[in-house]
Amino acid sequence: MKRLIADAASALAPTCDTTTSCITCGDVAIPLTVLRLDEERGLALCADDEGKSETVETAPVAPGDRLLVHAGTAIARLTEEASG
Amino acid sequence: MKYVDEFRDPVLGEVLAGEILGLVEPGRHYKFMEVCGGHTHSIYKYGIDDLLPANVELVHGPGCPVCVIPMGRVDDGIALAHEPDVIFTCFGDMLRVPGSDGTLLDAKAQGADIRMVYSPLDALRIAKANPQRPVVFFAIGFETTAPSTALTLKRAKAEGVANFFCMCNHVTIVPPLRALLDSPDLRLDGFIGPGHVSTVVGVRPFEFIPAEYGKPISVAGFEPLDVLHAIHMILRQLKEGRCEVENQYARVVPYDGNPRALQVMSEVFELRPHFEWRGMGFISQSGLKLSEAYADMDAELRYEVPGIRVADPKACQCGEVLKGVIKPWECKVFGSGCTPERPIGTCMVSSEGACAAYYNYGRFAREREVV
Repeated sequence: MKRLIADAASALAPTCDTTTSCITCGDVAIPLTVLRLDEERGLALCADDEGKSETVETAPVAPGDRLLVHAGTAIARLTEEASG
Repeated sequence: MKYVDEFRDPVLGEVLAGEILGLVEPGRHYKFMEVCGGHTHSIYKYGIDDLLPANVELVHGPGCPVCVIPMGRVDDGIALAHEPDVIFTCFGDMLRVPGSDGTLLDAKAQGADIRMVYSPLDALRIAKANPQRPVVFFAIGFETTAPSTALTLKRAKAEGVANFFCMCNHVTIVPPLRALLDSPDLRLDGFIGPGHVSTVVGVRPFEFIPAEYGKPISVAGFEPLDVLHAIHMILRQLKEGRCEVENQYARVVPYDGNPRALQVMSEVFELRPHFEWRGMGFISQSGLKLSEAYADMDAELRYEVPGIRVADPKACQCGEVLKGVIKPWECKVFGSGCTPERPIGTCMVSSEGACAAYYNYGRFAREREVV
């Protein structure tokens, strides 16, 4: 019974997409582009190449900058040169 | 997609594979460890193993943050989640990691308020929306994730959010590497260094590997060509008689890392004297806890946690997999008693875990090989 309840909870709970990769649990970072800034709070609204947006904690950046983001935080700024 | 497509080019992949073949000495066996779970995932997802000569073996290191969490810490988290009024938050994979008496998902089924978050900022948002209830964030991860937790704790303090707490399980990468290199049952010829951890800590912390242990290392990105290129760089070092730290992921990883992230980490965290790693035991100065300045947000100080060390299930060989001593399929319960749907060990839980990556992408190839 306990197993059944846990399975039901598991089915209802939001989970990571384990067929690709869990970006928060793993050491994964994704490139995002800065759209808008909230400089006072150190936050930026960013979007990926498909237009999906998220709020990111970041050091000072500018709209259009490309950031490498992990767990809601920018860990690096990507440069044009870096794109190879 | 920019920054991605260039590093998945199959033609370039074939060229690199050909060059790798030209670098290996016939009759010599090469054993390289990819430290990071993200690399393990890429290797299986893109079939990089199949592009390598038979005498180049990749073994999987302890770089999956979920996989290294011992059962006792899961039990501590579950105990916290059952505290009255607590909203317990953690990353998704952590929900399915077995403790000694079930998972966090089981605890949720029993009524604990446990919520999955994608970032510590999400947990802080929950705390601000529920000011009358304590919100605990179960923090896991290497130096890639630790800055995110540190910045969130700083933000919570600055905004006066008094109901936000953290159970810190952050770990550091260098001490377990040193423990592995000191381990007598593991012979390695080189390392594929962690890419995103190095974005934060830089390349400098890995200098001890060639200097003290005489092993080459190449810090690598996560696309298939990144991993192949890193293997190529290590083999070239061996062929030319060099032994140094190289940075394959220089487009992202600065030699000295991210100073701002390191500064905020040093402000919010301090090293624990020792921390238990699944399958590797206690490793000195390998875990982080909240610093004195943030002690009032430390969930382990606010609540009484059992803190009992729990032995891994006898059938589970996660420890040996994490140390690269055995391959996932050599574990007694791999694919039978232990599957991603019903994991016994943590390496099967996380998508970054060697067992889950191998189960999802590699087991059919292995079965064909065996047949």
